[in-house]
Amino acid sequence: MMNSMNNQALVSELENRFSLLNVDLVSESQVAIDISNNDVHTVLAYLKSLGWKQLSMLTNVDWIEEGKYQLVYIIFNWDNPIYIQVRTKIERENPVFRTVTSVYPGAKYYERDVHEFFGVKFEGNPDSEKQLFLENWDDLPPLRKDFDAKAYSDRKYAKREYTKDFSNKGGKK
Amino acid sequence: MENKKLTQAQMDTKWTELGDFFRRKSIWMLMYCTGCCAIELPQAMTSAYDMERLGMGPMATPRQADVLLITGYLSLKTLRRLVYTYEQMSEPKYVVAFGPCVINGGIYHDSHAVLNRLDHYLPIDVYISGCMPNPESVMNGFTDLMDLIKNKTAVGWKNYRDNNEWYKKNQMDALGEVFVHDEFHE
Ligand code: SF4
Repeated sequence: MMNSMNNQALVSELENRFSLLNVDLVSESQVAIDISNNDVHTVLAYLKSLGWKQLSMLTNVDWIEEGKYQLVYIIFNWDNPIYIQVRTKIERENPVFRTVTSVYPGAKYYERDVHEFFGVKFEGNPDSEKQLFLENWDDLPPLRKDFDAKAYSDRKYAKREYTKDFSNKGGKK
Repeated sequence: MENKKLTQAQMDTKWTELGDFFRRKSIWMLMYCTGCCAIELPQAMTSAYDMERLGMGPMATPRQADVLLITGYLSLKTLRRLVYTYEQMSEPKYVVAFGPCVINGGIYHDSHAVLNRLDHYLPIDVYISGCMPNPESVMNGFTDLMDLIKNKTAVGWKNYRDNNEWYKKNQMDALGEVFVHDEFHE
């Protein structure tokens, strides 16, 4: 029965059980739900029991003006091709969240990734602070919106000097 | 013409010339496919442009290769591996770099992860321009390399040896340390 569920049925099923802050029916094969921090583990565990067994991605969005980070868990069901984005907002200052490795063990690496690029700490995942992609990183986490990649590049990497001016001045001479 | 015997230095030059003659007709490549420019190598290698008619072929390990192809943008992390690779190659060795990304950073000039000028860290003999370079330019770059070897101007490897301190300093400035630490190597 679960495997023939369409995205509307899925959403009403979820609405019956949990308090969803917001629902987005992105397309026939994509649903996005916003939930509170405390619901994340139960919702993920419930969806896993319905067949959304694969955590395809854990990522983070920096809403700098709001002062929030938004964690996005994208999960997939191989029998019923609907991607579900489970989203929750956390504080941007000293961001901390609880690990979901108890539900999706593969989150171990995604959490390391999010820690490295956004600085989110994941309680309960002892590996989450190990370096993954960036080696010997020495600045703000680079995908934060207030990280200035150009300034970092200018400071750190030698630039080529040009004797001729090749810059485009909007077509003016 | 009374003294026909060649000095040692002259003999060495002759041998190098002879070596260079064969070398430029059998260039084995090590392809370090760092960026998207790598997609132009298959056309250059297979029947359309048939690189093998110039005596060029792919090689599996750095120690057996003559030329290192750096095909596109080079991230900081890749430089670490690249320095390892380059230093393992036996001399004489050449480097061909593809695309504007290795010249001045190209479209990644303001990225936190991509180096802007590769020639600060490794000696480059030939640049091939184009983002990405079409296979004609790739082939042209290789014939340029052969001409450079013929004219004895493909001397990047000598520069690397002579100015090693300068190169090492630049590598250190960017990398902190060249040694590769990661959980798969430890
Ligand atoms: S030069 Fe262009 S094609 Fe080549 S690696 Fe850079 S962006 Fe990619």
